[in-house]
Amino acid sequence: MASVPLPPADRATADIDAVDAPGEAPSLRSRSPWLPRDREWLVLAGYGVTFLALHRLAILWGGVGYYSLWFPAAGVRLALFWRFGARLAPATALTEIIVQCLTGIIVFTQPEWPRGIFGVASPVLAYGIAVAVVRRVADGATGSLATAPMPLGLASVLAPLIAVAFALPWSIVRPDITNVANVRDVIVSLTGFAVGDMLGVLLIAPPLLWIADLSSGSTAMPAMVPSRRDIAEAVIVLGLALGLVGMLASIGLGLPATPVLLAIAWIGLRFGRAAAWAAIVVTAILVLPETVGAIPVDQRLALHMSLAAVTVVGYLAGSFADAEARALAAVARRDRMLFQAERLKTLRAMSVAVIHEISQPLSTLAIEARHLVEISAHADPDIAETARLIERKTVTLSTLVRRLRRFGGRAVDEPSLLPVGALVDTVAALARPEASVAGVAIRIAPVDPEWTVLAQEIEIAQALVNLVRNAVQATDDGVVEIAVTRRDERVAIAVVNHCADHPLVHEGMGVGSLVAKAIVEAHGGTLSRADRGLLRIAHVVTLPLVGTLTGDAA
Amino acid sequence: MTLSASAPATVYVLDDDADLGASVARLLVRHGHAARAFVEPVALLRDYPRDPAACIISDVMMGDMDGFTFADAVRELDPDVALVFMTAWPTTANAVDSVRRYGGLDYLEKPIDEDRLLTAVAEGVAWSNGRRLLNRRTALLTTRERQVFDMLVRGHSNKAIAGALGLSIKTIENHRAAVVTKTGTNGLAQLIALVS
Repeated sequence: MASVPLPPADRATADIDAVDAPGEAPSLRSRSPWLPRDREWLVLAGYGVTFLALHRLAILWGGVGYYSLWFPAAGVRLALFWRFGARLAPATALTEIIVQCLTGIIVFTQPEWPRGIFGVASPVLAYGIAVAVVRRVADGATGSLATAPMPLGLASVLAPLIAVAFALPWSIVRPDITNVANVRDVIVSLTGFAVGDMLGVLLIAPPLLWIADLSSGSTAMPAMVPSRRDIAEAVIVLGLALGLVGMLASIGLGLPATPVLLAIAWIGLRFGRAAAWAAIVVTAILVLPETVGAIPVDQRLALHMSLAAVTVVGYLAGSFADAEARALAAVARRDRMLFQAERLKTLRAMSVAVIHEISQPLSTLAIEARHLVEISAHADPDIAETARLIERKTVTLSTLVRRLRRFGGRAVDEPSLLPVGALVDTVAALARPEASVAGVAIRIAPVDPEWTVLAQEIEIAQALVNLVRNAVQATDDGVVEIAVTRRDERVAIAVVNHCADHPLVHEGMGVGSLVAKAIVEAHGGTLSRADRGLLRIAHVVTLPLVGTLTGDAA
Repeated sequence: MTLSASAPATVYVLDDDADLGASVARLLVRHGHAARAFVEPVALLRDYPRDPAACIISDVMMGDMDGFTFADAVRELDPDVALVFMTAWPTTANAVDSVRRYGGLDYLEKPIDEDRLLTAVAEGVAWSNGRRLLNRRTALLTTRERQVFDMLVRGHSNKAIAGALGLSIKTIENHRAAVVTKTGTNGLAQLIALVS
């Protein structure tokens, strides 16, 4: 395949070709995916500054054998990979190394600098691996594993664990580096590392990603907006829980997490993720300052693990409530669509009946009008003109009725021969209003006008419109391309969009995709997703080619 | 029965819309046919033996009897009548059936394309007249002569026919001469033209 840049239409075609030819490298792959693109350089620079600040902050919760029991920089790192892709891991590792060099932690004149570089880079690469693995598993999975926010939750737990696994050999081979002397110290060190990272990830990554999604417009504000009464309820519940914990602590019973955990779970379930996060942040603000300084490791570890548990529970409860609200909204939307479809069906049936009723008298009128023109040819010019006018109008009406019947009548109950070019034009016309609102352009590659399929026009158009709408929502460069190619006796219609970070789009319940697949398969076709490396996604519908309008299908 | 090319051909129009049927019949009359409109299939079937037609234009969807049932019934009475269907509810399946199963010459969609209707009727009349002429001319042939006639018009030689029927070439030549005489033709070319 040529490495020169292709025009959009040709790129879409190239994507289809690559479906059956995985060995061929698309032209877009000629650029290394590991390199940051465009604004990602700026994002990395911002990450470097943020990492430096949070790294300094984390030392307040530092201890022997581990850097910190709360490491918020890990949350920023995970959010970065989740948002922009694990492909940024090498560049991020380089950024952290540069930061550590500038702050004097890595000094190239010292003999230990290679170990220092490895120590900085290994957790970054571990996070990249975790994100890549979870993304891949979630892409191929169905059910709860693929349902948001489960993939992010998995990555939040897996990333610190993989980072610890990377650090384990060093703790055993070079215990002097982390000042650990025995097995207990090693376990404390690694546990502290894991808890610090996990707490940092759980507290920082989800809100960062949420804010990023809000700013890019790929998500909306929470489905449930708490009223003043809701806020008052949440404040009272959390206040009671914290007060209970304070009272228990004051009489020497420690700092049990259970009341706060239950309160935050309640808030999450009642008011959604945003409210849960607000409660978590309040709790963290109260707890974290208490664990700064020289307090026993076991107490600090217990408090941070409790805080992690509270965060996880609150996060899950809030996400569950949000997902439930989304599901209810999706069901309501589907009900509306079904109602509209039913109404459309009724209207169609009515239109067919009307067409029938009109065509009967119109046939008579057309015949008589023509006859009138013939016999009035030599009559008064005014009469002749009137007769011609009546005849012209009956011809126009007859043509209109035939066209209406082709759209509303025949297509209702049986498939018809459909030029693929006309089908694609119809789909683009239906999807364009929504695409315009989203600022997305729909580009259509030239289609051979003779390619024809046997299909129910309205159904197959609906299936393709669903795919185009999904692509409009997912694209990140404002373009959706539709390209058609022919392979033997099949025609492949590809809907292609650019998408750098492969977000897991969970708009609605995926009913649209299921319906599209069912419709396509009912036409003897297939619907498949064909990712083009890390950059482009193509959904390809194949349909049996009946023939050509001028050839065997005529 | 209309057998002469110069006499107007009888054409019936069957539609449960009386106005449309009458209108189509008048149109056909203006174009030189002896057309008559019927609203009820039963009435047409009742009158048909008394006055057969060269062509019938029938609506497909009617009250008690649809166009296809009517086609079967009228074919029982007269296999040589040409049928043209018209409908306000066109479907591909019906279009195929009307031609393949019910021997229709055309399947017209309402509102009717007048030129197409007139062309279909002209073709139908010509086809029906040809069939009737053939039947009349071959009516006097014996069974053996009919066998020889059928093989001749399919292009078989005397020798081949003799071999196939187990007769001598001389006998076949005699049968061939009788066929030519009885059908009023003057040779093989006219015999073939009779069935084409």
